[in-house]
Amino acid sequence: MRTGSLGVAQLVIARDLRLAFRKPSQLLQPLMFFMIVATLFPLTLTPEMSRLRDAAPGVLWIGALLSSLLALESLFREDAQDGTLEQFALSGQSLTWMLFAKTCTHWLLTGLPLALSTPIVAVPLGVPTEALWSVVASVALGSFALSLIGAISAGLTLGARRGGVLLSLLTLPLAVPILVFGADATHQAIIGGAIGPPLRMLGAIAVLGVTLAPLAAAAAVRIGLE
Amino acid sequence: MSEFLSMGGYGKYLWPSFVLGIGIVALNFWMALGSLSKAKQEARRRLEMQS
Amino acid sequence: MSWAWFHRFASPPWVYGFATRWTPWFGGAALLVMLWALYGGLILAPPDYQQKDAFRIVYIHAPSATLSMAVYATMALAAAVGLIWRMKVAHAVAAACAPIGAWFTVATLGTGMLWGKPMWGAYWVWDPRLTSELVLLFLYFGYMGLRAGIEDPQKADKASAMLAIVGVVNLPIIHYSVTWWNSLHQKPTRLLGEADMVWAMVWPLLLMFLAFFLFFAAVVLIRLRAELLRRERSASWIREVLK
Repeated sequence: MRTGSLGVAQLVIARDLRLAFRKPSQLLQPLMFFMIVATLFPLTLTPEMSRLRDAAPGVLWIGALLSSLLALESLFREDAQDGTLEQFALSGQSLTWMLFAKTCTHWLLTGLPLALSTPIVAVPLGVPTEALWSVVASVALGSFALSLIGAISAGLTLGARRGGVLLSLLTLPLAVPILVFGADATHQAIIGGAIGPPLRMLGAIAVLGVTLAPLAAAAAVRIGLE
Repeated sequence: MSEFLSMGGYGKYLWPSFVLGIGIVALNFWMALGSLSKAKQEARRRLEMQS
Repeated sequence: MSWAWFHRFASPPWVYGFATRWTPWFGGAALLVMLWALYGGLILAPPDYQQKDAFRIVYIHAPSATLSMAVYATMALAAAVGLIWRMKVAHAVAAACAPIGAWFTVATLGTGMLWGKPMWGAYWVWDPRLTSELVLLFLYFGYMGLRAGIEDPQKADKASAMLAIVGVVNLPIIHYSVTWWNSLHQKPTRLLGEADMVWAMVWPLLLMFLAFFLFFAAVVLIRLRAELLRRERSASWIREVLK
């Protein structure tokens, strides 16, 4: 029986979701981290609302980036350790497609909840209510692109010592365009300006990521598994 | 001569730039040669341990 | 067409000999050209109409910037060659390039800051060109960090090669950032043909570009020799070379 591509993706996604929900507390950790980080900014910068509103895009995006980086570690590590990744590579199915499925599931479990929780952090930072949906949309799109790019560095650092720090170090330069356009989109949303252009750039980066990142991640994983 | 050094008042930006640039050039030569001589030493030691 | 020369470049001992023979020529030429260029740029060239004597920083800044990107491109190309044709020497070249490119990036950022202060009033602005050049520095560090972090030398070669290739996307961003976005940084200057600068200013700059390229060639060949010695462990040709 030959499983079709869609069937393979469904199996991978279902497996990852099942495993994730066995330890639901682990799903909350990145969210908690995001909220704590976002709280540190007003504590250390200024409680003044107008200044906070100016800083809000940066605070939101850096918080989202840092908690995404933490979450990226779990993308491949456990499966690499217990040999599942090797089975994927040997299975005769497309490793690229399977890793893409894994990355999507990872985003569903980390990036999307993060995006949905941004209002909780954004409102205390002075972001107007009308802007909240745009903020959620931009963080959702940006975190998806980030998961895709992070999959590449996660694959590259599989065999490295202190892979966690290295993973962050490698992902950050590649994540700069996402940060720049994402923060711009959030800023535009807050001041009521044109969010179209930066959102389109984010979308373009996400599309580029979808087409190229799983390929690169698969190649990187194969190198790490040799 | 002092006119040359002051470079129209921009001397304090210009000369550090040149020192930085040429310094990095010289430093790279020096470090590369150091790396090479260390590699040669290690290779000699390895060959000695073999024979 | 004979592919013999290509095969020679795959042979570590041959490459080592090539590097040893050519380093003094590249190094000597680099020194002479640089002295000549500095004489032309610091003494002969007239002050700029707008920037007065401060423009002379270009003689260090522009070649450093070009080399910082050219070295990265070389590194990525060598890495790709190493991955596709599985050539050890190519991976060694990539490894040798990295520290040099990083230093060029530091020189670019440093001289840029020293030029920015008198011209723009600020040592640093977060504009696209400066930021993407800084990202280039991070990419170099990431490359060297990844190499250092992976124990197995072959895995380290392949993984860092992939990183180098993925990072190439930053190069067009740096180069075109001044035309794509509203940047504080100067737009590209035409040097030849309908030039924006007088010839007396241009020829020392062209010579400095040449000097920096020659310098890169000399230093990368030295580092390549060290890489080859480390990688080849106790191969027989090493015994000959060390005599």
